[in-house]
Amino acid sequence: MRTLWKRLTALFSKRQWDGELSEEVEVHLEMRAAELRQQGLDPNAARAAARREFGGIEQMKEAYRDRRSLPWIEIAAKDAGYGLRGLRRNPAFTLAAVLSLALGIGANTAIFSFIDTLMLRMLPVEKPEQLVNLYRTGGWGKGYASYPLYLEFRKHTGLFAGVFARSAAQKVRFDAGHSNSVEYVQREYVTGNYFDVLGVKPVVGRLFKDEDNRIPQAHPLVVLSYDFWRSRLGLDPAILGRVLNVDEQPLSVIGVAAPGFHGVAVENHADMWAPAMMQRGQIMEPGNHWIWTMARIRPEIPRGRIQAAANTIMQQYLMSVYGGQRDSAFGKWALEQKIEVRDAGVGISMLREAFGKPLTILMVAVGLVLLIACANVANLLIARGAARRREIAMRFSLGATRWRLVRQWSIESLLLAVLGSILGMAFAIWGERYMLLFLPPGFGEALDISPDARVLSFTLGISILSAVLFGLAPALRATSLDPAAALKDGGAQQPGRGARASFRKALVVVQVALSVVLVVTAGLFAHSLAGLRSIYPGFAAQNVVTFSLDYPQAWRGADKQRHRERLLARLAAVPGVASISYGVPGPYQGGSWTSGISVPGSARTAKGGDQVAEQGVGPAYFNTIGIRPLLGREFNQADLRSTHKTAVVNEAFVREFLPGTTDPAGRVLNLGDSKGAGGEPSYIVGLVPDILHDGLKTNPKATVYVPFHDGDVSFDPTLLVRTQLPPASLLPVIRREVSRTDPEVALTEPRTLRERVDDSIFVDRMIATLSGFFGGLALLLAAIGIYGVMAYGVTQRTAEIGLRIALGAAPGRIAWMVLRDGLMLIALGVAMGLPLSLAAGRISASLLYGVEPNDPPTFISTIAVLLAAGILAAFLPARRAAAVQPVEALRHE
Amino acid sequence: MSTRNAKPDILQGTLDLMVLRTLESMGPQHGFGLAKRIQQISAGALDLNQGTLYPALLRLEQRGWISSHWGASDKNRRAKFYELTRAGRKQIAHETDDWERTVALMDRFLRVPE
Repeated sequence: MRTLWKRLTALFSKRQWDGELSEEVEVHLEMRAAELRQQGLDPNAARAAARREFGGIEQMKEAYRDRRSLPWIEIAAKDAGYGLRGLRRNPAFTLAAVLSLALGIGANTAIFSFIDTLMLRMLPVEKPEQLVNLYRTGGWGKGYASYPLYLEFRKHTGLFAGVFARSAAQKVRFDAGHSNSVEYVQREYVTGNYFDVLGVKPVVGRLFKDEDNRIPQAHPLVVLSYDFWRSRLGLDPAILGRVLNVDEQPLSVIGVAAPGFHGVAVENHADMWAPAMMQRGQIMEPGNHWIWTMARIRPEIPRGRIQAAANTIMQQYLMSVYGGQRDSAFGKWALEQKIEVRDAGVGISMLREAFGKPLTILMVAVGLVLLIACANVANLLIARGAARRREIAMRFSLGATRWRLVRQWSIESLLLAVLGSILGMAFAIWGERYMLLFLPPGFGEALDISPDARVLSFTLGISILSAVLFGLAPALRATSLDPAAALKDGGAQQPGRGARASFRKALVVVQVALSVVLVVTAGLFAHSLAGLRSIYPGFAAQNVVTFSLDYPQAWRGADKQRHRERLLARLAAVPGVASISYGVPGPYQGGSWTSGISVPGSARTAKGGDQVAEQGVGPAYFNTIGIRPLLGREFNQADLRSTHKTAVVNEAFVREFLPGTTDPAGRVLNLGDSKGAGGEPSYIVGLVPDILHDGLKTNPKATVYVPFHDGDVSFDPTLLVRTQLPPASLLPVIRREVSRTDPEVALTEPRTLRERVDDSIFVDRMIATLSGFFGGLALLLAAIGIYGVMAYGVTQRTAEIGLRIALGAAPGRIAWMVLRDGLMLIALGVAMGLPLSLAAGRISASLLYGVEPNDPPTFISTIAVLLAAGILAAFLPARRAAAVQPVEALRHE
Repeated sequence: MSTRNAKPDILQGTLDLMVLRTLESMGPQHGFGLAKRIQQISAGALDLNQGTLYPALLRLEQRGWISSHWGASDKNRRAKFYELTRAGRKQIAHETDDWERTVALMDRFLRVPE
């Protein structure tokens, strides 16, 4: 080790060392010469004798230098300099190679950063691998659970080392008391043992204990994230005990959590945590699903047993709550709920569920792109190696070893890889930003995809790997020559050309085969997306702006209603506004709600209540989203005030509950009736077409629309404004009207209806766009590969072609000869690629909508596209071959 | 590591031990003094290019067995002096053992009657 260090430092003090050595030698020689002079020799003879005895001074110095420093580093530096000069001399080659690599490496880095963020990065907590999420399925959304269910699991201390729960982080108003503008903060409700079970420590003050979460509304405390404390409160040293107004709850700060901890969610970071008991509403209701339950397992208990025990606990719990209603449809539904014990060491992520598999598929796709890029660079290098035969032969003759030359080539390859990965990183950053644009607003802004050490080492790893992939074979090939022969023929002829050419052709065939796979998958995803886009969601999504209103917490339902009426009146007066309404949840705003129902006279609810989708809507709702009732009418102002309850149903409702009825108007239904005993009746006043509220990929659900009423604790409606102008141009006006109506109320989540529909298929859009891009890239690289090989082949065969033409071959035949070669390569590649594509299609099948993974049109058009690209790439060389002048070609020989 | 056509240097190990032993018996010494002493002791049996000594000295220094400093010679010339380190002393013992074992072993082979 010490030796290595001394050698390394020696590298940097080379000159000084050389000087010292010379002096030392000089001293030696002088001392000996002095001795000899004393013995009577004359000075010149003494000096000469001293040198003789010393031996070869330069040889010694050389040995000394080798010994002193790390010669290979010096050589490597020399090689690198040499390589750089070479790259600069061939800008076209360098550009092509670096660009190919940068695209490949950049695409890989970009996709991998997403994979890293969503699937690999462990939470910064104690032993994250022991964390699980008790994920609820079946009814009332997925993942979320109720507080009583959390308490139930918490009892089982033998099974879990700790069970805690947290709400999703919610964007709420925040007022630190120094600003008039509305600020927002991500607040999360957590149970008292949250930090304890996670093993997160405070940097300041203390964190929650169970005593801080006992009685509803009695613990006005808050813990801040370190980032929030730093960025929003300037690391205020007097933070403890300071009262922050959060969502209009005055909460006093008791501590700050360790730096880097942002909660347990991947794409939804928390700025602060408040005790779960501070949550408003019926938090103890078994039907109120608002928290995620997580646990730390006991590592000695096998996972299978934990899952089995969780099933039992869940069953017993459900029976105790819903057992009495087990015969009703509602009860059956409730009892179907299950608990999945899922790994949560990488954090909770809704995005991962939608996006995990697409990302994995994209990762494979970009891996293939990189392989194709490497094949391209290898091809370029081989061609260059052939052009440099003379130089290589010369260096061999001058005594360079093969190893030395291979090493120099490898350094050139590494240089290319390094340049490629630097540019690739830039592409990756740009690509990641582009990918984030696909994510719905709530996801994208909170996702931290900044590269960490893992991403950087991944990039480094793949660039070195690709340097080996594309660099080694050409290096070995270029240096396997007989220097004498190469020098003699001036580097023009190619002994062993056959082997070299066939290797290059094999590379091209592989490129084509991989491109087929990528183009086919791109085609399948594009086809799938086109299918989704052609689905009519049930409404006209163009020209509708949607937004929500954020009311002061103290406002009751009546206040909200008054405000909305004023706002609607103002907006109706804005030029360009065609129609205004509102609804809960609203189109493409998180699906629909489910309610119990019984319909007198319907066979379906004769034996008990059933489930139906419910939407609360305002007057002119259907008009605003561009649909007309098929029969009857939609709600008007009178329906809002009337005690006579009215309802509008859709076609699916009639099909399921009142089959055979042509006009449901006047029929009665009892909503919110889970027992079938007959709730308060509503009278059907209209029939509307089906709307795909739950997404384009779903079937229409039987839906009942009821007039929306503001409750004191209810969800606030989404406002809908149909415009005659482009929606974006009206948004500033709408925003202004909102703030004029009441500056206390803020407009949030503005989004056009079109965007909301797009958001609902963001995965499909993203994978179709990206796979299309990668498919195109693969195609381009493969075409360049074909062109390169064909063009090179023509150059090599100039003499032969000239001879053929001299002997009377028609130019057309010559062109065809070259073209045929190219077509053979493409045909081989396609033949290899098709079975691979079938396999790739099967793997992607679950992400395809309305397309079979072996969709014949996609496969046929892929083949056509590849043939076209191949012919195009081979055409130029073929034309050049046909234009060869025999006289010149033969003279060249 | 080096790509140069290295001459077979059968003396390497032995030269190291000679230098170390010489330094042990003489104390700090400059390169010329060492070369002279080694030739004196070998009484002409060793045909050593004096220059070969310097890479060997560097090697020993890199291994931490000797240290060097610039000082004044008895004729008041500036010269680089080499000195045995503690690690060097241990190394002598170690290498002497090795060497004796090798000699004993070879001895046995050479004495086996035909």
